[in-house]
Amino acid sequence: MASVSESSAVKGKVYPSAQAALEGIFDGASVLVAGWSGRGEPEKLLRGLAGTGVGDLTLICQGAWVQEAGKFGIAELVAGGQVKKMVSPLPFHPETGGPVKDLWQSGKLELEIVPQGVLAERLRAGGAGIGGVFLPTGVGTRFAEGKEVRQFDGKDHVLESALKADFALLRARAADTLGNLVYEGTGRNWNPIMATAAAVTVAEVDLVGEPGSIDPESVITQAIFIDRLVLAD
Amino acid sequence: MPGTPLDPAAMARRAAQELFSGAVAALGPGLPRRLPSQLPASGGVWFLADGGAVGIQGPESDTNAVDADGNTVGLLSGGAFTGVVEIAGILRGGHTDLAFLQPAQVAANGDFVHWTTAATPGLFAPGPAVDMAYGSSRVVALMPHQSQQGRSNIVERCGLPVDGAGQIDIIITDVAVMTVGPAGLELLELAPGWTVDEVTAITDAPLTVSSDLKEMTFDVPVLKPPDKIYPTAVDALRDVPEGATINVDGFAGPGGMAHYLMVGLRDLGVKGLKLISNTAGVARVSGFGTPNIIDHSILVENNQVAKATASYPVSPSASRPSAFEEAYKRGETELEVVPQGTLAERLRCGGAGVAAFYTPTGAGTLLAEGKEARTIDGKEYILEMGLRADFCIIRGHKADTLGNVVYKGTSRNFNPVMATTAKITVVEVDEIVAPGQLGPEEIVTPGLYIDRIVVRPSDFSAYL
Repeated sequence: MASVSESSAVKGKVYPSAQAALEGIFDGASVLVAGWSGRGEPEKLLRGLAGTGVGDLTLICQGAWVQEAGKFGIAELVAGGQVKKMVSPLPFHPETGGPVKDLWQSGKLELEIVPQGVLAERLRAGGAGIGGVFLPTGVGTRFAEGKEVRQFDGKDHVLESALKADFALLRARAADTLGNLVYEGTGRNWNPIMATAAAVTVAEVDLVGEPGSIDPESVITQAIFIDRLVLAD
Repeated sequence: MPGTPLDPAAMARRAAQELFSGAVAALGPGLPRRLPSQLPASGGVWFLADGGAVGIQGPESDTNAVDADGNTVGLLSGGAFTGVVEIAGILRGGHTDLAFLQPAQVAANGDFVHWTTAATPGLFAPGPAVDMAYGSSRVVALMPHQSQQGRSNIVERCGLPVDGAGQIDIIITDVAVMTVGPAGLELLELAPGWTVDEVTAITDAPLTVSSDLKEMTFDVPVLKPPDKIYPTAVDALRDVPEGATINVDGFAGPGGMAHYLMVGLRDLGVKGLKLISNTAGVARVSGFGTPNIIDHSILVENNQVAKATASYPVSPSASRPSAFEEAYKRGETELEVVPQGTLAERLRCGGAGVAAFYTPTGAGTLLAEGKEARTIDGKEYILEMGLRADFCIIRGHKADTLGNVVYKGTSRNFNPVMATTAKITVVEVDEIVAPGQLGPEEIVTPGLYIDRIVVRPSDFSAYL
C-alpha cells in the first residue's frame, strides 16, 4: 500500500479533493472502479480522474451504464477519450449501448470480456497473493480460449490468472479516519474485493467518523486496505 | 390457429414451480427477475442478486438493494448483503440449486448464447450468466420461444459463439416446456391452446414428444423455510457416517469452538473420522477456552479419529503432548500438516468451487514436496487443492431460524469459511432469534450455508 502524505490538509487518510486523492495517477494506469449496473459509482473520483487529464487508462469494472443527465460515471469518463481498454463482464447495456459500444465498434476502445464471477475471483486472487486459480466457469466457450484446461475430479477447469491494478476507486457509505469502511445494501458489490487488489486504494464516502465510530463487528473493508479517503459531494 | 403466447407473469409462475423449500436460486437479467414477485415472501427460497444480496424480493422503490437489471428490489426479512466475490462463490461452489436465465438462443445440446444477438454481431455481455450456468445444479432457460423477428430462439446448434456449453437443463418458453437430455429436446408441456404441431412448426430443433405430455399450469407453490432447529447436538449429527470428513471450527484461543457438537460426536461414537481443523486439539493442554476440557481430544481419546488435517497439530509444550500427538506417535492416526493460511485458502476454494490454486506459501520447503511448482511472473508458487467435507461443525454467537449467523470477536476465525465447505453444516449458537433480528448488513454467514442449528448449553458440566 502506498504511504499517505503528511500534508496538513490531510486528516488521517482524508484528502481535501478528488484530484488530491488521485495524486500519482499516470498515463496507462490500470484502475479498478466499483459500482453496479450504473449505480454506486464513485462519481466525485471519476470526475476527478477526468480532470487529471491522464490517458490510455485500463478500467476494470462491471460495466459502463450511461448515467442520467448531470451525473458523471464510467460511461462519461470513457466518452472523454481517456480510456484505452475496459475489462468487464457487461461493458455496456446490450440494449441501450452508449459511448463504450460506439467507441468499441469504431475500434477506439479495446474490450476484454470476462464473466463476472471470473473477474471477481481473479481480483480476489490478486488481492490475496494467489498466483492463479482453476475455475469450472466457461469451459468449452470463448472464455476458455488460449487458457490451460485441466481436469480435477473428472471435471474440466480453466486456469485463470490473478489480477491487480494500480489504483482502485471505491464508493462506500461511511469510513473512519483510519480507513475502515462500511457500505449500504448492494452498494457493497465490487468494493471489498477491489479494495484488496490495487497498489493505491481511494474510497469516496458520505461520512467520515473518528476511529471507533464503526463497530469492529460491522467493518467490511479493514483500514489496512485503504490509502486515501475523499468525501462525496 | 395457435393459442396466444403466455405473458411474462404466467411464464414466471410456471418457472416458480421449479423451486422447492430451501432452494437457492440465481436470477439473471430479464424475465427471471419476475420470479420473486410471484411468490409470497415466506422465506422458503433464497433468491440471489449477483450484485451482492441473498434473499431479494420483487421490485420495490426506494430500497438499497438492486437486482441483476439494476432495478431496486425488496429484501426478505432475514436476507443479507454480501459482495460480488461471495456471490460468485455461492454460484460456483455447489450452493446454488437453480439458475434462471433468459438466453437469446438455446441449442438442443444445452448450449446457450446469453445477450449476443445476430442483429449486433460481436456484441456479447455474459455478465453473471456464465457463472450462474456453470455453477448451478440445474439451469432453467426462461425465454420467448421466438425472437421479435419471428425466428426460433430454440435451435439445433447455436450459430453464434456460446456463453455456456451444454449447460441448460430445462427450457420454459411462452408456448412450451422442454427438457434438454442426451437425446436432445423433449417436449413436456404445452401452453393452453397450443398443439404439438404448432410448437414443432416454430421450433428450429427436433423435438421428441413426452409420453406424458401435459398442459402448462400456473399454480405457484407455497414454500415454507426448512426447519433447521434440532433439539440436541446428537440429533443434529445422528447421520454422520463412519469415515466422514468433518470440518471442525475453532482457533487456539478462547471462545470459538463447537464444544457442544464435539460432545455430540463423541456421544454418537462414530469412528474413522477425518477432521479438518486448525488444531488437532490443543485447548486442553494449553488451558484455552471455556470449558477447556472439551476439544478434539475427546474424539481422539474415544478412538474416533482416523486423520487430522491441521496447521497446529501438536501441543505447544513438549512435556504436555496432546491426545492427538500421542495417538499419532502410536500410529493410530494419520496427519496432514497444512500452513494456516493455506488451510484457510483450501477451504475457501473448496467452498467457492475453485478446484485448485497457486500459492507462494511453502514453496521450496517440505510442505511443497509432491506438489506441482510453477513460476508465475518470476515468483515460485505451489499448487494446492480445494478442500471439502461431508459435515462441518461451527460455533456462532446468534443465528436466526433461517440459518443466518453472526459471531463474536475473534471467535469468527475459521467459522465463516468452513460454513461454505461441507455438504451438511451444523452451527451451535448461544441464542436463536427470529428472521429480521439480525440485520442484513450484520449477517456474516448467510443462512443458505447453514443446514442445522442447535443451542449451546451455558453449563457443560453434564457433558464432561
